[in-house]
Amino acid sequence: MSANTFHIIIASVGETLFDGVALSATFPGSDGELTVLPHHEPLVTTLNGGTITVRTQSEEPREFPVRSGVLEFSGNTATVLL
Amino acid sequence: MSLKNIKTKIYSVKKTATVTRAMEAVSAVKMRKSQERALSGRAYAAAALSVLERLSATSEAGHHPLMFDLRGRTSRKAAIIVVTSDKGLAGSLNSAVIRATEHELSMRNLDKTGVKIIAIGRRGADYFAMRDFDVALRQENIGDVVSDNDMRAVTDQVLLWHAAGDISECHIAYTNFISTFEQKPAVRHIIPITPETMKEMVRGIRPAKGKYAPVEGEKEVHPAAYTIEPDTETVLAELLPKLVNVAVFHALLESKASEHSARMVAMKSATDKAKEMAGELTRIFNKTRQSAITREVSEITSGIEAMR
Repeated sequence: MSANTFHIIIASVGETLFDGVALSATFPGSDGELTVLPHHEPLVTTLNGGTITVRTQSEEPREFPVRSGVLEFSGNTATVLL
Repeated sequence: MSLKNIKTKIYSVKKTATVTRAMEAVSAVKMRKSQERALSGRAYAAAALSVLERLSATSEAGHHPLMFDLRGRTSRKAAIIVVTSDKGLAGSLNSAVIRATEHELSMRNLDKTGVKIIAIGRRGADYFAMRDFDVALRQENIGDVVSDNDMRAVTDQVLLWHAAGDISECHIAYTNFISTFEQKPAVRHIIPITPETMKEMVRGIRPAKGKYAPVEGEKEVHPAAYTIEPDTETVLAELLPKLVNVAVFHALLESKASEHSARMVAMKSATDKAKEMAGELTRIFNKTRQSAITREVSEITSGIEAMR
């Protein structure tokens, strides 16, 4: 993993929706919209309803609708529990 | 037994073998699918666990009602979720879970009045309903594709009771999938949530052997401090119900995988037995036929002898 990317896992109880490397990701955080870049400081926050946008190197940005959830960022890995 | 009777019997035994063999094949396919499904959800549980582990280091964590350990309290009411299958023909699977449940109840000195039973699967529901337990919730006909919504009803009910103070603890009895030939009943503690119970659960999600066995050295780094937004309490309020949900979900997946494996094995031995029986009957059939022929021939020859 290069220096300007991070690993992101988006999972709901039954399945993993996304598991890969991203350049940046935008979340509907509890205190407003929040964009996470690689090497963000360790963070835990709840998510409000909205859309998660994941920008990867190759593809178009991927979007995931979200009702509620928890975002955890640590060790250059973002984990989203929907 | 007359020849015709034996023939009919051989036919019916062979028919049975065909049916059990078909059931075996169906269970084998379902088993594989349930195992895969049980695994795909593992990432979620592991991630939830790591978040919880780190949050529980903070001071406020122990005060959340779902994590509060009430073991010291005298008047305890418990809920126990019993996961069984809807249908039989799966060996000792269901009776093992029921036995484990009863053992757990007696070990914890819980009697009928203090226990709410949540039965997932008809076998367990019928068993406890018949014995005058308080079967507070029944969930039946849950398909093989277990959806999030199937557990929501169960988890929401448990959380509701817990919030209202109706129960102080919750356990789940289900069948732990170890391998195709080995399934063990297990009883796990799900409320109050502690990092230990969660860890145990995550470990139990993967089979010990085979394709999906755990890989050594899968350990994450634990950062010292987190920025928590908006605050620990809100995050825990969001996270803990999810953990309860995931615990129930995995117990259900494990039970499904076990059910199909147990049924496959049971059907396999039924098929083998039926084949053996058909072979035996064919032998009897041939013997009977042979002796009938011998008798007829000797009757004819003795008849000829008499006429001379």
